[in-house]
Amino acid sequence: MRRQVPLILCFAFGIIMALTEFSPHPISQWLNEEIIDWALVIGPFALVLAVATLVQSHWTRIRRRSEYWQYSFLVFIGMAAMVLIGIPGGQRHEAFVWLFRYVQVPMDATMFSLLAFFIASAAYRAFRARTLEATLLLAAALIVMIGNAPVGDLIWNTIMPFQDNFPSTARQWILDNPNLSARRGIILGISLGVISQSIRIILGIERSYLGGVEGD
Amino acid sequence: MKGQRFSCPVLVVQGLVISLLVLGCGLNAFAQEATTTEDTRLFDTAKIWIFLAVILYSATVVYCIYHARSGKELFIRRIPGLEAVDEAIGRATEMGRSIMYILGLGGVSNVATIASMNILSQVAQKTADYETPLRVPCNDPIVMNVVQEMVKTAYLNEGRPDAYNEENIFFLTESQFAYAAGVDGMMVREKPAAVFLQGTFFAESLILAETGNSIGAIQIAGTDKEHQLPFFIAACDYTLIGEELFAASAYLSREPMLLGSLKGQDYGKVMIFGAIVIGVILELFGITWMTTFFQRVR
Repeated sequence: MRRQVPLILCFAFGIIMALTEFSPHPISQWLNEEIIDWALVIGPFALVLAVATLVQSHWTRIRRRSEYWQYSFLVFIGMAAMVLIGIPGGQRHEAFVWLFRYVQVPMDATMFSLLAFFIASAAYRAFRARTLEATLLLAAALIVMIGNAPVGDLIWNTIMPFQDNFPSTARQWILDNPNLSARRGIILGISLGVISQSIRIILGIERSYLGGVEGD
Repeated sequence: MKGQRFSCPVLVVQGLVISLLVLGCGLNAFAQEATTTEDTRLFDTAKIWIFLAVILYSATVVYCIYHARSGKELFIRRIPGLEAVDEAIGRATEMGRSIMYILGLGGVSNVATIASMNILSQVAQKTADYETPLRVPCNDPIVMNVVQEMVKTAYLNEGRPDAYNEENIFFLTESQFAYAAGVDGMMVREKPAAVFLQGTFFAESLILAETGNSIGAIQIAGTDKEHQLPFFIAACDYTLIGEELFAASAYLSREPMLLGSLKGQDYGKVMIFGAIVIGVILELFGITWMTTFFQRVR
């Protein structure tokens, strides 16, 4: 029973959801939206458990005086501040909005901005012209970079009086032809993989996500 | 956290009970609203070709799955990223360090997340055998609950329930960059020997992969987001591209029926490839009906 019930539910809901995609009938559309809403209902229950594990793990760190245990207090301070202001005051409370706008958003932006440095270091490794493939990558990247910068066209037009705006034209050609072809190939593979995986799950052949080995 | 609090089946049953209550209220509301809706067709004929394509492809996959039951040896091409899973786990075991498994930002209804959980199940069986710590920071509360249950069962199946530590599978945050910051911090502090990045990733993909690279961990990545693949290819040792992520479970378990579905996937690719080749040849001869047909399909 422990296995059968989830598998039966998975089969039934999988088939229903697939069929509702092809039927514009009001009952079908309503069913589709309703089932998605049911899934949303489960979310808050799981969130309570998740927050409990978060509190538990940080409390354990403090109790055991694990390495950097002092930072766990920051988790509790942040959580308490947002809850104590957010619940009575609501989402539009001045202090709540201030904390979001001037604490959370800048911290998110800081993490996001690190991406620029990570891109530079990853690009340096990827574009080292050691092999033919890496050299082609380097050449394509240079053309796309020069084509993306308005100054690239300006320099080209000044130095080379023929073939106006060549860098941006070449960049567009690279993006529209080799790049897009490769992307579409990957997208087709992903789509087939998704359908195949869904069939395996709906038919109950793939069940490792239930915690067991397939076929048991 | 002692004992099992909420297992996957319990979550499903809980969802069903709530759903039935909602269904009762909803049916009542629907009965009042249904009269005002216009489109009452049972089937959207504009989607007939998509429907037929899905049926054809599904039938091929199902045929291959059941054909595989005959026990015939199936040829599956080598996938280096999946061959390296054992190497990564072995390396972590030898070094006496942990393995970090990151499922990405996808929810439990995301197929890539489910594919990732299937890989995690195989990894967990091996870490249970080798007694290597497996750390799984989660971004989604439901995913965390399912993963806890899944890994616990994998350890039980391997006869090592004592080696399972529930505290190693934990919720971090739902915020994208806070999650990236948290995982990065753990990587730098704990220095795991192997990092798995499997699932749905967005802008945080390179932040995570580059940090993993900087600590010298062996990294195996895979995602369904094709925009993030170049980042993983640049920063990770192995990357599962496209359908390889979805093939991983079958490849690692070597279960004949699952391997059969991979064969079906390959036939699907052959069908699409055939259509592309025929379309190109027809276009070269100025015959455009095939291109026009595919442009109209929606």
